[in-house]
Amino acid sequence: MPAATTLSEAGGAGGAPFTQLANGENLAEIVRPEEGLISRRIFADPEIYAMELERIFGRGWFFLGHDSEIPNPGDAITRPCGVDPAILLRDDDGVVRAFLNSCRHRGMRLCRTDRENVRFLRCPYHGWSYRTNGELLAASSENHYGEGELDKSELGLIPVARLESYRGLYFATWDKNATPLDAWLGDMRWYMDIIFGRTGEIEFVGVPQVWDVDCSWKFATDNFTDNFHVFWAHQSLVQLGLLPNFPDFASHGHMVTAGNGHILHFVQGPPNDEIYMGLGLPKALWPRFEQNLKPPQAEIAMRHGYSAGTMWPNFHWLQLTSAGDMESKPVGILNLRLEYPLSPTRTRMYSWFAIDKAASPEFRKISYETYVRTFGPGGIFDQDDMENWEECTAAAIGPAAKRHTLHHKMGIGRKPDPKWPGPGIGYSDSYGEMTQRAWYGEWLRWMSKPLGSIGRAANGGARR
Amino acid sequence: MSAVMHASAVTPAACAPGTPLYGEVTEFLYREADLLDSGRFGDWFELFAEDIRYDMPVRTNQFRAAGEGFQEVAFFDDNYASLKTRVKRLETEFAWAETPPSRTRHYVTNLLLAPGGRADELAVRVNFMITRTRADRGHQMFTGRREDTLRRVSGGQLKIARRLILGDQTVITNSNLSILF
Repeated sequence: MPAATTLSEAGGAGGAPFTQLANGENLAEIVRPEEGLISRRIFADPEIYAMELERIFGRGWFFLGHDSEIPNPGDAITRPCGVDPAILLRDDDGVVRAFLNSCRHRGMRLCRTDRENVRFLRCPYHGWSYRTNGELLAASSENHYGEGELDKSELGLIPVARLESYRGLYFATWDKNATPLDAWLGDMRWYMDIIFGRTGEIEFVGVPQVWDVDCSWKFATDNFTDNFHVFWAHQSLVQLGLLPNFPDFASHGHMVTAGNGHILHFVQGPPNDEIYMGLGLPKALWPRFEQNLKPPQAEIAMRHGYSAGTMWPNFHWLQLTSAGDMESKPVGILNLRLEYPLSPTRTRMYSWFAIDKAASPEFRKISYETYVRTFGPGGIFDQDDMENWEECTAAAIGPAAKRHTLHHKMGIGRKPDPKWPGPGIGYSDSYGEMTQRAWYGEWLRWMSKPLGSIGRAANGGARR
Repeated sequence: MSAVMHASAVTPAACAPGTPLYGEVTEFLYREADLLDSGRFGDWFELFAEDIRYDMPVRTNQFRAAGEGFQEVAFFDDNYASLKTRVKRLETEFAWAETPPSRTRHYVTNLLLAPGGRADELAVRVNFMITRTRADRGHQMFTGRREDTLRRVSGGQLKIARRLILGDQTVITNSNLSILF
């Protein structure tokens, strides 16, 4: 990858040669989101994967962790930032920081547990030790360095370029020129308020489930905004009565493109069924919607039973109302998801359970049990999705498949719903692929822009 | 013999390798594994007591001083109804993660048997190794320790009253957990 300074600043969609592939094809010609045509080549191709690492994972905003995961000074968790290993910690003064999880000396991984409380970060290789604020406290064998050979003030941990938070969610980027997080999330914040602020604060419970799937990370992201797969991909649960037995059951809602590739939907449950109102939360919590949200946000929370959203590119909420078994009633669950690639055909998945801090212990328990029975690698919903992603990926590797596109045209001619009360563009009928098209459009934009030139504030209302 | 008479007779010595009880439990575990590997999930479910808790906590990578790293959040946290739902799901033909089915092999070893917390219960510790092959893909492997409680019920047979699955992996590297442990 050439250095950013050698690249044309004139690049854009179709800005060859920046998007030119080795076989002569151009990304902007084989990925045409506005036509609903996405080349299968982009899913498992090593050349495109190498481009993604630099152009997306090297400079985007990525979710690292939630405030509730590191409550005390010294609390540290290890997470990817993009695809690079990072440490998210609360330093001795209570300031949340994130660093590359790697010693400045020989690059050894510093934090080698999933979570711990640290007083110092000490490298197991030569013993270099860092304060929780990243400063190098001590190197090893310091008396053997000559004058000027070891400038400790220059050898602190490598920080992320920026670490910013919204509603307790910490995001970081390796790009010092990145658009500020608030502007990058833009209109999406209005919807994040509904999910993360409807009753006050949200708490992430315990640790995430983590697992690896032999799939392209993009088949996972594609799936999280897809409503109409539910009836067929999760047909086993329709058969058992855990899902309604009619194909259109998840179509009564809205798809929303909120700008910068951020996408979401809100879906209603069966009419007049209180179980599916108020996002599946207990009635006792409903009055809090109006206390914490603006009236149209509170009404959206009140009227819907399901929602999924993607903070581009790879962090998602799933707010669902589901039963955990054949004998129980549906309850609301909040699941957060992150996936990032280990290779073009292997993806690491993170899945967290979260709960409203205002929820009763009883609801917390039943919501958790329902989550763990339905989502995560052992969940009776989730596990069938992975089978689809793996087989879609396996079929995208060969040269013949790569000459063809996938089909993402549902609702391509549908007009926005002018009555949708939220920002961005809302479309009635929550079966549609406008959200996937917006996601791939943003993917193409990042893949087409020279390094250093991607920054832009969200303006959801101006883009489709 | 009655369940209580049998149970009250259990001593640590009666649990040792080579005893009739150790042999009985060994055969029980082998037959259970055979039901799973033969795809007879409904028959397998019949082995569980109605107050079963079947759980597999998430494991995290920790220093030794912090313990084994098992967490309150789980991969499985099932009761009788939800375990039954898993089994019924596998029988629908629409559970795509297992349709067509995986081939599994459950190996159960290193049995350590001890009197249980109740007179009619036995504490069972085993190591497990489970292999799965699926479609045209290679072997996947799941390993760990299992801590079961077996209960002697009226009629004399054993039921699984508790199953704690303590896996070795902190990151499940095998696509999903669509098989039974």
